[in-house]
Amino acid sequence: MLERYVSCLGTDDAGVEDPASIRARLRGVFTAPFGRRSTILGLLIGGVLRKALERDCGAIVYASAFGESRTLADFLDSFPHPSPTLFQTSVHPSAVQQVMIDRQRPVTEYFPLAGGRCLVARALLTALLSPADRVLLCGGEERGSWMCDHRMASDRGFAFALALERNRNASTQGRLRLEPIADAGGSLSAAPWMMSSSEWFDLLQAGRGYSGPISAEWRLELEWS
Amino acid sequence: MTSLLGWNESTPTLTPIDSCSVQLAACGCVSALGDAAETHAALLRGERALALQPVCGSAGGDPVPLSLLAGRNLDETCPPSWLAPVKKLMRGCPDAPWGGVRHPVFVTSSNFGVGNLFAFRRFGGLSHLEYGTPETSVSVIARELGWRGNITILSHACVSANLGLMLAARQLASDIADEALVLTFDFLSPFVAGGFYALKILNSEWPAPYQARDVSAIGLGDGAAFAVLRKPSSGWIIAGQTLHNEMHHFTAFPAGSGGFAACIDPLVRLASGRRLWIKGHGTGTLESGRLEAEAFRRACPASPLVGWKGSLGHTLGSNGLVELAVALESLRSGRIPGTVGSAAPTFSENVSLGPIVDSSFDGVVCASNAFGGAHAALLLCHA
Repeated sequence: MLERYVSCLGTDDAGVEDPASIRARLRGVFTAPFGRRSTILGLLIGGVLRKALERDCGAIVYASAFGESRTLADFLDSFPHPSPTLFQTSVHPSAVQQVMIDRQRPVTEYFPLAGGRCLVARALLTALLSPADRVLLCGGEERGSWMCDHRMASDRGFAFALALERNRNASTQGRLRLEPIADAGGSLSAAPWMMSSSEWFDLLQAGRGYSGPISAEWRLELEWS
Repeated sequence: MTSLLGWNESTPTLTPIDSCSVQLAACGCVSALGDAAETHAALLRGERALALQPVCGSAGGDPVPLSLLAGRNLDETCPPSWLAPVKKLMRGCPDAPWGGVRHPVFVTSSNFGVGNLFAFRRFGGLSHLEYGTPETSVSVIARELGWRGNITILSHACVSANLGLMLAARQLASDIADEALVLTFDFLSPFVAGGFYALKILNSEWPAPYQARDVSAIGLGDGAAFAVLRKPSSGWIIAGQTLHNEMHHFTAFPAGSGGFAACIDPLVRLASGRRLWIKGHGTGTLESGRLEAEAFRRACPASPLVGWKGSLGHTLGSNGLVELAVALESLRSGRIPGTVGSAAPTFSENVSLGPIVDSSFDGVVCASNAFGGAHAALLLCHA
C-alpha cells in the first residue's frame, strides 16, 4: 500500500473562460513579466501551485494530456517563419517550467506525464513512489483553440495542485492511499472504469472523498479531514 | 528504497541517487546508422550520419544537418514513416505480457507524432490526426505491438528516456512490477527542425561537441530505443540514476551552473573503485558543452569523455536510451567510439576525439540535458 498526506490543495475551474479573461484574472498574483508572457496553462498551473510552493519540495509530478495546446497551435501557424519563443514554450513540460523559472526555484525531480487512458492513476503512482519527503502533484488542461475541433485539445480549462507529505502534520487536510486491486480483494475484470483527469479535478474541487478503482491495477482511497 | 546521500530539500542542488539498481536485461536502438551494433561499428569508424538537408523538408529552407533513417523524409506520411522502424526495433524485445499488471510499459518522447500534426495543418488530411497527440500515437504503437493498458507516457524534452528508466526502476524496486519495458522514440519533422532553427542553434554549421570554437551548432537525428529492466541479479545493471532541474532559463544555464555536478558527482562516488568512461550529452552548443566537460573533468579527471551527437545528431527525447544502447555495445566489446565530428582544441583535456580500445573499463556514466536546465545521468556497469 502506498500512502501520502495532503497538506495543501489548489484548484482552478477555468471551464470555458477565454484566455484574455484568465490572464486578467491571474495577472496580479504573478510577477509582471510572467503575467504578460506566460502561456494560459502556465498561468493556471502557476495559480494553483502558488500556496504549495511556499515550502520547498523535492519532486514535482505534472499530469496533462494535451499540455500547451494553444501554444502548439500558434507555433504551427507561425510557419514558414517559426517562432523561437512559441517553440520553447510549446514543449509538454513547459507550464511548470515557466512557473519555476519565474521563481528561480530548482527542483530535483520533475516528471511530466503526457496523457494515456489512466493518466490520473499513473500520476498518483509516480508521486507516491517518489523518495522525496514532499512531492507536488499538479496538472490540468487549457481550453484549446482550433485543435479542440479535432479532439486534440481540451474543451475545458482546469488546474489542480496538491502537496503530498510522508507524515501527518498540523497542516494535513487529507490522505491519499493507493492499493493494488488484486491486494484489495478485487479482480482485474472488476475494475469498471478509469478515472479521467476531469473527474479527478471535480473530486478535488468539490472536496469529495473517493473509494474505488481508478484504473485496472489501482484502487484509490481519498479522505479529507 | 533509500537515498544514498539523503534528501535535503532546503539545498535542492544536492541530488540524491535513486538506489533502485536494476538489471538491463535487454536493450536495442535504431539510428540513422542502423541498429545498436551497426551504429556502434559506424561510430568506431568515425562515420557521420548527419547530412545537410532543407530545414522545412519539401517546403525548402536553409540547409541544416539532419540524420534521418534510411528511406525517411522530413515530411511525415500517413501512416507515419516511423511506425515500421519502431515495430522492427521491437522484434528484438523479449516476449512478455507487456502492459499487464506486473509488466508496465513506459513510453517516452519529446515529440511523439507531432510531425503528423504539422502535416495536417500545412497540407490537410484528417487521417494524420490519428497520430497527432502523445496519447494517440502511443495508442497506435500499443495496438500494433499487442500491449495491454498499463502504459505510462512521459515527455520531458531531451531527458524523457531517462525519466522512463527511473520510473521503471522504482516500480521494480517497490515490487509493483516483475519486469518493465521502456520504449522511447523521436523522429524529425519540419516542426522540430524549424523550432531549433528558430532558436538559431540548428544552422548550416556541423556540430562539434566539446570543441572550443566560436560557433554553437547542433544536428538533429531520428532515434528510437527500448530497454527491458528486471530486478538485479547478474549481467549489466543500471546501478544508480540521478535527476536535477535547474529551472533558471529555458535555454541557458546560470553562471557557475551546479546542475551538471549535481547529477554527475553522486554517480562518480557510487562508482568508486571502478574504471569509468563517460558518455556525455554533448550537443555542440558552446555553453553547455563547456560546463559539462568541466564538470566531468573535476569529478573524474582520469575518465575519458566522449559524445556522439556530432555523428548521430541529437535524437531529442530518445537520446538517453539510444546512446545507452550504444554505450552497452561499447562496454561489451571494450571498444568505445570517440567524439565524432570534433577536433582540437577541446574544452577540457579529458575529451577523447578518437576511439578507445580498452577492455579494462567496467563502468560508464551516461548524461543527458534538456530545456529548462534539466539534467539526468545514470551509471551502467557490470553487477
